[in-house]
Amino acid sequence: MVTEAAVATPIKPAAADTIVETRNLSKVYRDFWGRQKVRALKALDLTVHRGEIFGLLGPNGSGKTTTIKLLLGLLFPTTGQALVFGKDATDVSKNERLGFLPEESYLYRFLNAEETLDFYGRLFNMPSSVRRRRTAELIDMVGLNWAKRRQLREYSKGMTRRIGLAQALINDPELIVLDEPTSGLDPIGTREMKDLILKLQSQGKTIIMCSHLLADVQDVCDRIAILHQGELKELGRVDSLLRVKDVTQIKASGLSDDAKAEIRAVIERHNGHVDSMDNPTNTLEDLFLSIVRDSEARPGKRAPHNRD
Amino acid sequence: MVQDFNIPPYFEWLPGALSTYLITLGFLALTGLILSFLISAVRNGPMKAGDRIYKVVVSAGVDLARFSPKRVFALARLAVQESVRRRVWVALVVFGVILLFAGWFLEPSGDQADRLSNSDPGKLYINFVLTGTTFLVMLLALFLSAFSLPTDIKNHTIYTIVTKPVRTGEIVLGRILGFTVIGTVMLAVMGAASYLFVGRMLDHTHELTAADLREIPPDPGMPMGGKEGRTALSHNHFHEVTLDAQGNGVTDVRQGHFHRVHAETKDGQTRYIVGPPEDQLVARVPIPVEKKEDFRFLDRSGVQGPGINIGKEWAYRKFLDGGSPMAAIWTFSGITKERFAKGLPLEMNLRVFRTYKGEIADEKKGNRTVGILGSIRLQNPDQPRLKSIGTPFTAKDQVIDKHFIPPVLDREVDGQYKPVGLFKDSIVGAPASESLVTDDGRVDVVLQCLSPSQYLGVANADVYLKLQDGSFAWNFCKGYVSIWLQMLLVIGFGVMFSTFLGGPIAMLATAAMGMLGFFTEDVGNLFRAVIRGETKLFPGGGPLESMIRIAGQNTITLDLEKSLGVRVVQAIDAGIMVFMKAAVDLVPSFKDFDNIRYIADGFDIPAVRLLEQATVGFGFILALFLVGHLFLRMREVAN
Repeated sequence: MVTEAAVATPIKPAAADTIVETRNLSKVYRDFWGRQKVRALKALDLTVHRGEIFGLLGPNGSGKTTTIKLLLGLLFPTTGQALVFGKDATDVSKNERLGFLPEESYLYRFLNAEETLDFYGRLFNMPSSVRRRRTAELIDMVGLNWAKRRQLREYSKGMTRRIGLAQALINDPELIVLDEPTSGLDPIGTREMKDLILKLQSQGKTIIMCSHLLADVQDVCDRIAILHQGELKELGRVDSLLRVKDVTQIKASGLSDDAKAEIRAVIERHNGHVDSMDNPTNTLEDLFLSIVRDSEARPGKRAPHNRD
Repeated sequence: MVQDFNIPPYFEWLPGALSTYLITLGFLALTGLILSFLISAVRNGPMKAGDRIYKVVVSAGVDLARFSPKRVFALARLAVQESVRRRVWVALVVFGVILLFAGWFLEPSGDQADRLSNSDPGKLYINFVLTGTTFLVMLLALFLSAFSLPTDIKNHTIYTIVTKPVRTGEIVLGRILGFTVIGTVMLAVMGAASYLFVGRMLDHTHELTAADLREIPPDPGMPMGGKEGRTALSHNHFHEVTLDAQGNGVTDVRQGHFHRVHAETKDGQTRYIVGPPEDQLVARVPIPVEKKEDFRFLDRSGVQGPGINIGKEWAYRKFLDGGSPMAAIWTFSGITKERFAKGLPLEMNLRVFRTYKGEIADEKKGNRTVGILGSIRLQNPDQPRLKSIGTPFTAKDQVIDKHFIPPVLDREVDGQYKPVGLFKDSIVGAPASESLVTDDGRVDVVLQCLSPSQYLGVANADVYLKLQDGSFAWNFCKGYVSIWLQMLLVIGFGVMFSTFLGGPIAMLATAAMGMLGFFTEDVGNLFRAVIRGETKLFPGGGPLESMIRIAGQNTITLDLEKSLGVRVVQAIDAGIMVFMKAAVDLVPSFKDFDNIRYIADGFDIPAVRLLEQATVGFGFILALFLVGHLFLRMREVAN
């Protein structure tokens, strides 16, 4: 049975002002001699509004990362325009209000967490008191207090991801660009990352993320764009895109078998068709998280088996 | 000596240098614009190419205006941290190990048969440490600067930098600054170690006992008697000593130094104490002649002409034939009574070319060995007949010999000696027109070789006046400043190339610049000669004229007939050469930054030379920074 999406609380954009806009954005990769190699992005038109979480979806090589790199000014468009805060994406001043978490956390491995955040803070010309406060806050937020003096070369992938996120937030940005934010994270980390993204949104920030982990996108994004082979295939609100209009889902608990049979009869009387009627299952993510939480609450004991 | 004549004052030099700089920068900008337009036009069409180039240039300009020193310091700090954590100090350990064992291999005259060699070990040690430091620091600068940015781009760490409000110029300058800080610290440590090394290697004394000395037979020249002898061997040399009756005296100059000796009598026993080496680590401040024309030769017949070439390939020094009127004349200027009231402190560093072996003795002096004799006299440049009589001396090969010329000398008038003063009032009551120095402060110093069929070799810079010595330690520091400037250039080129090339290629390109830098002076002189039409030193003209000469089988030493065609060709050649010269000027002449010879030869590095080197160095850094900024701005860092 297809279910209606019921997760991300739809938050209406606070104002309809545009944060990111692309107009007919195209990118062709060329070789040294200028010969066309790949047409990575074809005439993309997108608009991202203030306060929304926008997801870019697509298989590998679909043009998601290219789009993000064009928005950040890491690549120059072949044709078309990418505007961030109304400025051309190659304009460096836009970066004052932007935070970026790259796909892999490309950080200086010879620095430790504190030095890393301090360094990126300096790039924003932050006064040292603000820098110190912000560094402490962010390290605390991403839960790396215990490892803040260790060089990043000793960090695990998940830890690097967290410190990567912290550096993206050092300037308290209005727009946050996340490239595969949950890659490399364990289920707890993934959940925390998703919670954090929602929290950032509640603070009025705009978030653009790209991912091929569909569950993550579905959990947090307000709107998504699906790209394939460099072309925009679908664009819209997640809830409306996923809603199956001719199927109705009812969730109820404490029903007896008689009651279920009666409901089935009512549906058939109204010429409806019961596709299935059974007990729902938890997602594996829910199961995993509850086991871990139990284990944390009662260390040393095996998690109970009374789930069915 | 290293400095041939006075270096022009800074502000006389600056306008010419600045115009060369601006022409070169303009040439670079123009070539860059044309090339990028052509490449972009092929890819995107001329309209879009023009639009893009305009946008890049404007945005690069705007970025420069928003430059933030704080961000530059942050990036510089990162570069320092990176270098430190990549264990750059290992280079210091390497240098230390080299210094520890260098003494074994740096014997100035390790060969037993060569013990009497007079080469100055100070020169050897100074040359060694300074050259060693230069190479090590250059290598370090090369590796650090060429690989850092490409590594960042390869590892994508640059993504997190350029998505912050960082201007590309700040990345370039931050790198240059950071590596310069590291290099400076390394250089300072190496400099201190080198200074200690040289000092310790040269410090020595000699043993001298009563048994080493013998009485000098009474002589009209030394009526009090005295002792002479030879010190014990130490550091592969010994000294001849001459002591007065009290047992005090000095040794001869050997290996560039001498020792003072004094006697101490205790319990009826006399001990001779030889002091530390003197005159070794010095920084002489020479006053050479002002212009090239102030040094000239008289030939064998006594008229102005060239000196003799004794067949050495390096024709820097010309030779004087002994026993003939042949002479070398230096016209010194700025000789005032205020500066030289006590007389003229002259120093000479001559070459002696002997035509036969054996000791040269003088019959008149009881057949005592006198060696090759030269003579020095002064004369008034305006009245050559007003001259002092020559003072004879024994010429020493490759040794800096001091001659103090007193304010009153003798001259010969009608077979009689009469006193003549350097200045008008040197002799009370002398005629106003009789002084060796002219009213505007010029005087001729005339050198001749007296020993028949022997030769003395001289060059412009071999005879100079010296009022004072500078501090050797400070001179050593100045030498390190010039090494520092060379390091700065290597870092600048390394970072600039690494904005658009991969690490190994950027390193090769920088190394190539360093190597080309040793030839730019000669090539640049050739191009300049073609532009100015100077055919004497560089005969044959520019490329087109040369082709015409090849086709017509004309010799290069004869000028072509000045027909209209030839004039046009020469004008085109000059035009081509302006561009070629500008291209050559893009490469710094590393030779011009080399001050090692000054320190090794014991001469003070003139402050103006250092200032000019610093100006050129920083001029290059500014240009390299702008080019690097533009290249990185145009680059898609994610591609």
